[in-house]
Amino acid sequence: MTNFQRIVRRREFTVLILILVLGAIFSFTTERFLSISNISNLLLQLSGVAITAIGMTMVIITGGIDVSAGSTLGMACVVSGYFLLGGYSPFLALILAVLVGLGIGLVNGTIIAWGGIPPIIATLGMMNLIRALMFQILGGKWISGIPPSVRTIGLGKWLGIPIPMWIAAFLIAIFSYFLSYRPLGRHVYAVGNNPEAARVSGVNLKSTVVFVYALTGALAGFAGLINAARTGIVQTNTGMGFELDVIAAVVLGGTSALGGRGTIIGSLLGAFLVGIIKNGMVLLNVPALSEGLVIGVLIIISVLADIIRARRETR
Amino acid sequence: METIVLECRGISKSFGGVRALKQVNFSLRQGEVHALVGENGAGKSTLIRIISGALLPDQGEIWYQGKKVEITSPRLAQTMGISAVYQDPLIYPYLSVVENIFLGREIKTPRGNIDWSKQEEKAKELFASLNISPHFLRQPMGELSVGLQQLVLIAKAIAYGAQVIIFDEPTAILTEHEAERLFQIIKRLKEQRVGIIYISHRLEEIFQIADRVTIMRDGEVVGDYPLSAINREMIVELMAGKHLVEEIEHGGKKGKEPILAVKNLTKKGKFEDVSFEAFQGEILAFSGLVGSGRTDVAQALFGIISPDSGEIYYQGKKFKAYSPQYAMNQGIAYLPEDRKTQGLFPILSVSYNITISILRQIANHLGIVNAKREREIAEKYIKELNIRTPSLEAKVFNLSGGNQQKVVLAKWLGVNPRVLILDEPTRGIDVAAKAEVHQMIAKLVERGMAVIIISSELPEVLKLADRVIVMHEGKITGVFEGEDIDSTNLVRAATGERMLPGKSD
Repeated sequence: MTNFQRIVRRREFTVLILILVLGAIFSFTTERFLSISNISNLLLQLSGVAITAIGMTMVIITGGIDVSAGSTLGMACVVSGYFLLGGYSPFLALILAVLVGLGIGLVNGTIIAWGGIPPIIATLGMMNLIRALMFQILGGKWISGIPPSVRTIGLGKWLGIPIPMWIAAFLIAIFSYFLSYRPLGRHVYAVGNNPEAARVSGVNLKSTVVFVYALTGALAGFAGLINAARTGIVQTNTGMGFELDVIAAVVLGGTSALGGRGTIIGSLLGAFLVGIIKNGMVLLNVPALSEGLVIGVLIIISVLADIIRARRETR
Repeated sequence: METIVLECRGISKSFGGVRALKQVNFSLRQGEVHALVGENGAGKSTLIRIISGALLPDQGEIWYQGKKVEITSPRLAQTMGISAVYQDPLIYPYLSVVENIFLGREIKTPRGNIDWSKQEEKAKELFASLNISPHFLRQPMGELSVGLQQLVLIAKAIAYGAQVIIFDEPTAILTEHEAERLFQIIKRLKEQRVGIIYISHRLEEIFQIADRVTIMRDGEVVGDYPLSAINREMIVELMAGKHLVEEIEHGGKKGKEPILAVKNLTKKGKFEDVSFEAFQGEILAFSGLVGSGRTDVAQALFGIISPDSGEIYYQGKKFKAYSPQYAMNQGIAYLPEDRKTQGLFPILSVSYNITISILRQIANHLGIVNAKREREIAEKYIKELNIRTPSLEAKVFNLSGGNQQKVVLAKWLGVNPRVLILDEPTRGIDVAAKAEVHQMIAKLVERGMAVIIISSELPEVLKLADRVIVMHEGKITGVFEGEDIDSTNLVRAATGERMLPGKSD
């Protein structure tokens, strides 16, 4: 197989082509798609998904899932929202948001690794629990009126590109390197492909699992701060459904739902794909319902492709 | 003379070029208990899997009740009247005993609902015919002892109108009392003119209940005798055969002090009172039958299972393997028996698989893995072990079994352990790769490694071992060195004869 063939056969390549094709279609069919404000808006919206998808990619590579990411983002919004509103330094708000997420992720990872609870159940419980807490704290009210002066991290631009996207790019570069060159990063794949063999090979299963959930929590917390700073509003339902976008991005980007393979770059492309579909359909005035339809079908096709491939390999 | 109920004529079967059965003839009469014995890999299980419909033969005919038949599935075999009771009973643990018996062929009311009372009545009859009082009919199957579960399966077989029942090592998991009850039931089945194929490694049992015995070796039938015409020694001789193997000479120098000393190691239900020593520069082999506890002992040394009592001394100091990671850091490596489930990451690359255990060693002070060194190490082992792979990046599942095994071996060589435990290192790999693995093992011992090899293949043990420990049902039954390492001795100890120096039964 030549290098070219190898690239063409990768999932990332397929997704990239899809993005370009859809981009072209939307550019021709709508006037606003290629406008600077729309592109910048698109990038802003998908930066949170892309950042959280870094952790989610690792979680799914280990064969797990984290459906509490949306609630985690919401909770981080609440905490950082209050601090931004109080006029504290955005830096303090950032630290707190990440810590809140990290804490939730650590609890997730611990009950999954040590308690042996299936990830979907553990994080589903966490998702509801956090959402209920948010309701308690907000008491049905909104947080609004955060002064724009402290919202640079969400609103600012550098070289015409929103700052959150720069942050996402930076984190993606760091963690891609991490997955390839740090022992812990490499162990993530081992745990997902064959946990039993990983254990016998001297990989610390439990700490690897705790790590990926903790990271996902922390990154969702970070995305939460960006969200609060960008919108300036926090509600009880902030971040609801966010986890589905993240999971969609990861799975479309080629991370195997069966575990053991996947790349963060793939998830970034997946995030772009989801973002473009949503954005384009809004511009085309397609009802929001069909947006879910298209993404749902894409997810099923991509997981099916993954499973067919796995079947071929283990024949 | 009773009529023949089942006859196999000239059955052959190969798996990927390896002949598992060669022209096997086997016949079973009504009301006969016909024992089937042989070493691991002699072909017994392949034969019964063919008879019970789990496998199709490549060649040969099966005649059942005077007609030539093709048994294409276990379900068909059951409806024809051929049932198998395996070592680990196949059950539905949460369903009741009655449901387990009638699952898939429920007795129904005219409206098509399940007729519970009739099923229960029928089940009672079945157990009554076996002389068992069925007080457990409504209990979930999982709550029953294995012995009772086995009885339920026998009852199920009778419910299907079984003419032939195959027992695969039925007593291996039973208490003495339960085994005695099973023998009574087998007698009753005989009276009902059911033909019974009985596989067991316990030769004394065979003398207790069987009428005939067929001995298999290397996929062939090497003897078929009425029990009155044979004795234990003859059976063992036939099972062992004459193995002409060329021993591999290695230049390893045996250490003076044992690097590993195990004292009275016990894990309930797995192994008991196991004591032995291993030396650097020596190949110590664990022989015996599958399930005799050898693998469990090895896993206890490597921290996969934790023993209940006993001591391990490593390099003269008391040692406890807290986890595989810990054991590895201390210089003990274990190549697992089942490379698919414990050894390999099939969808990851060859180089990934080789270096996964040594990433921390080849990382720089910042903890970044040195990609160049990683490649060099992978290349080195690919060359040294002659691993045939298209590239470093090839996915391991694309490699042949032999090359996969060499990849697992390479992973452990990279760790450079002082004690290397190899569990069935050549199972399922071709002859050429096998020879290469053997050469490699000799080289390692020469370098001063202590190698412990667990093998169910007699020729492999005879070829490699400097010293052999034989285990039977969790206990050491024989220790042999030098001239005493021969196939007859190994088979005798493996079938439960105590052959320890200085001790007698």
